[in-house]
Amino acid sequence: MTPGLLNVIRRELRRLTSRPIYLVGIVVVPVMMALFFIGMLDKGLPLKVPAGVVDLDHSQMSRRLTRSLDAMELIDVVSSPIDYHEAIEAVQKGEIMGFFMIPEDFERDAVSGRDPQLTYYFNLSIYVPGSLMFKGFKTMGVTAAGGLVQTELLEKGAPEALAGVVLQPITVNSHPLHNPWLNYSYYLSPSFLYGVLELMVFLMAAFAITQEIKTGTSPLWLSAANGRIGTALIGKLLPQTVIFTVIGLGINSLLYHWNHFPMNGSELWMTVGMLLFVIASQGFAVLICSIFPNPRLALSICSLTGILAFSLAAFSFPVEAMYGGMAIFSYILPVRWYFLIYGDIALDGWAVYYSRYYFVALLVFPMVATLAAPMMKRALRKPVYVP
Amino acid sequence: MLKGFVIDTKEWLLETARIFRHEMSLVFSDVGVILFFFFLPIVYPIIYSLIYNPEVTRDMPVAVVDNSRTAMSREFIRHADATEAIKICGYAANLQEAKEWMADKKCFAVIEIPSDYTEDLGRAEQPQIQFYSDMTLLLRYRTFTSAIADLQIATGAQLRQMTLDDLGMPSTGEPSGISSFGFPMGDTQQGFASFIIPGIVVLILQQSMILGIVLLGGTRAEQRRRLKGSLPVTGDSMSPSAQIFGRTLCYTIIYIPLSIYILHYVLHFFHYPHEGAVIDYILFILPMLLASAMLGQTLNIMATERESAFIIVVFTSVAFLFLSGLTWPRYAMTPFLSWLGDIVPATWGLEGFVRINSNNATLGLVSRPWFWLWGLTLVYTATAYLVTRWQTRRN
Repeated sequence: MTPGLLNVIRRELRRLTSRPIYLVGIVVVPVMMALFFIGMLDKGLPLKVPAGVVDLDHSQMSRRLTRSLDAMELIDVVSSPIDYHEAIEAVQKGEIMGFFMIPEDFERDAVSGRDPQLTYYFNLSIYVPGSLMFKGFKTMGVTAAGGLVQTELLEKGAPEALAGVVLQPITVNSHPLHNPWLNYSYYLSPSFLYGVLELMVFLMAAFAITQEIKTGTSPLWLSAANGRIGTALIGKLLPQTVIFTVIGLGINSLLYHWNHFPMNGSELWMTVGMLLFVIASQGFAVLICSIFPNPRLALSICSLTGILAFSLAAFSFPVEAMYGGMAIFSYILPVRWYFLIYGDIALDGWAVYYSRYYFVALLVFPMVATLAAPMMKRALRKPVYVP
Repeated sequence: MLKGFVIDTKEWLLETARIFRHEMSLVFSDVGVILFFFFLPIVYPIIYSLIYNPEVTRDMPVAVVDNSRTAMSREFIRHADATEAIKICGYAANLQEAKEWMADKKCFAVIEIPSDYTEDLGRAEQPQIQFYSDMTLLLRYRTFTSAIADLQIATGAQLRQMTLDDLGMPSTGEPSGISSFGFPMGDTQQGFASFIIPGIVVLILQQSMILGIVLLGGTRAEQRRRLKGSLPVTGDSMSPSAQIFGRTLCYTIIYIPLSIYILHYVLHFFHYPHEGAVIDYILFILPMLLASAMLGQTLNIMATERESAFIIVVFTSVAFLFLSGLTWPRYAMTPFLSWLGDIVPATWGLEGFVRINSNNATLGLVSRPWFWLWGLTLVYTATAYLVTRWQTRRN
């Protein structure tokens, strides 16, 4: 370690402890957000969607149907509107997420083979509960129908075992690999937590660098590093690298140990990946600051990209379905690569060999930053603050 | 006494007008504020739309392990290939090879057909087809399962007729029974963008406004420090209530046309669900704009310099998005998180607007969120007043 590097690190540690904003941005915000998500992490799916049943039949059969709906894990029957209009109004008021309609003379028609029709309405303007409700209602519709067809076939004299086959000649068994519970939190929590971490690494690196330009202290910073921009940047960012990596690993242990998220692969590589992810995010910030050595512009761009990352990095909507021009942007965000590593190693448990390109991608960010750093040196020598 | 009151009121109104004029000129002379107040609300909804506009994902590569290798199994695979979601990318020798393809991202799922597929069908025994899906994205799995369900029903109907014929049962067509039909509401196309955009745009309104306000507040704090005292021009000498009302008036007037642009034109141009009457959702969003303006002026207590806006406000967008219940319904949150969501204007703004916009509710039907927004406006007016008074007195 050169004396210049030690100088810069010592100087930086003094700066970091001199103002509360560093503590807030580097420690308080990421830790607070991690704890914030604990609130929901324990539940995988928002079960018991509030629903209504419009029972126009009031028969024994319709009441049995209502009871079986309420008994479902997915559905919670909270109201019984008298007709369609009242039910729609309850949806518009937000009291229920959808409703199931049992027509008049349902029991009579069903028994006499006159094919009654069940209808259900589910509100997809809030997607997750809406589609869960759809699933519950559809299952109930099919079960009710299936039960009746089976009875009918048996009455017509088909052997009992055959009746089931006729009902469903082939079965396709779905195996959702490594997430048989379809736990939604497995996607939501890591993407939010890693996304917030990236955002704060961006902002705090850009803040620490451009603050020197704003206050005109950047020549002092550079001279502490004996005029070497590489030493200056490494010395300035290294303390943050260490703290953010520790926080990132804390997030990981919160996920995999505290909340028992799947860790089917190598935790060591997830740890290495976390270090590279923090460095890559800092590299991104250095690149932005080199191109725009101005506090407001650099921080604006870091904020705008950091927030867009939640959508662009394709945790929920796949890159291959995006327009080509948009997909390119998701490749320039470090968090995308770490999320892919998460999917491959933690969730799927593939060997690290299959994630090799993602690790390489993370390494590209500091390399590009190294190429851009000389541009920053000019700005540091003669700091100009434009508010 | 009445005369004194009239003079005071006149004085107060003049102060408010001066603050309003001054704040307007500040907004339009500060590139940073223009970026947040105008660029962000105008451009972001378009970027989000471009990200999500394809709505669905189709033709995802799927590998086949066909242990039967008969005409019947090939027909099943042809049917699978014909679905919108599935595109057969190749035949693997065994499951092991197929899973390696999956690890290599050559395919996202594997269909495995058992060796006695055709025999089972002939014997009228249920053959079991296995479908293994990669789960790194939930949307892919969701699309796969609905394709598989349709495939199973279609193939089943064809085979059922065959079986019934073989049994010599006098069934003509479908066996009778109860049928059921589902109707999606709100997002009738069942697309991803149609669900997420109407919610996100409301959050953009609130967050861009708060960012701009905190940036302005940070600038004022810096100027106070530089001038070592109060700011005569920006009105530190004027009454705190005139300051907050003058500024709120400025921000709200700027944001009304922006709200119409976002809530009406963006949704209209991109063909998102867009029901409800314009007058309903503009009246609805008004208290959210007021509450956000007051919340921003309350947060100014932490704005000690221009750049603090980024560090204290930007990350809250993520928290607020979650608290709003768009990705995770509010009824499934812990009481603490749900309470935290209650005090964010965008939570109620989003809830009410989505119901007006996507579910065709009227203002009367969303009165609960509307009253919450007015309540928050009152609360944050009080806090903004206290913060402004403290900041002005301190100097």
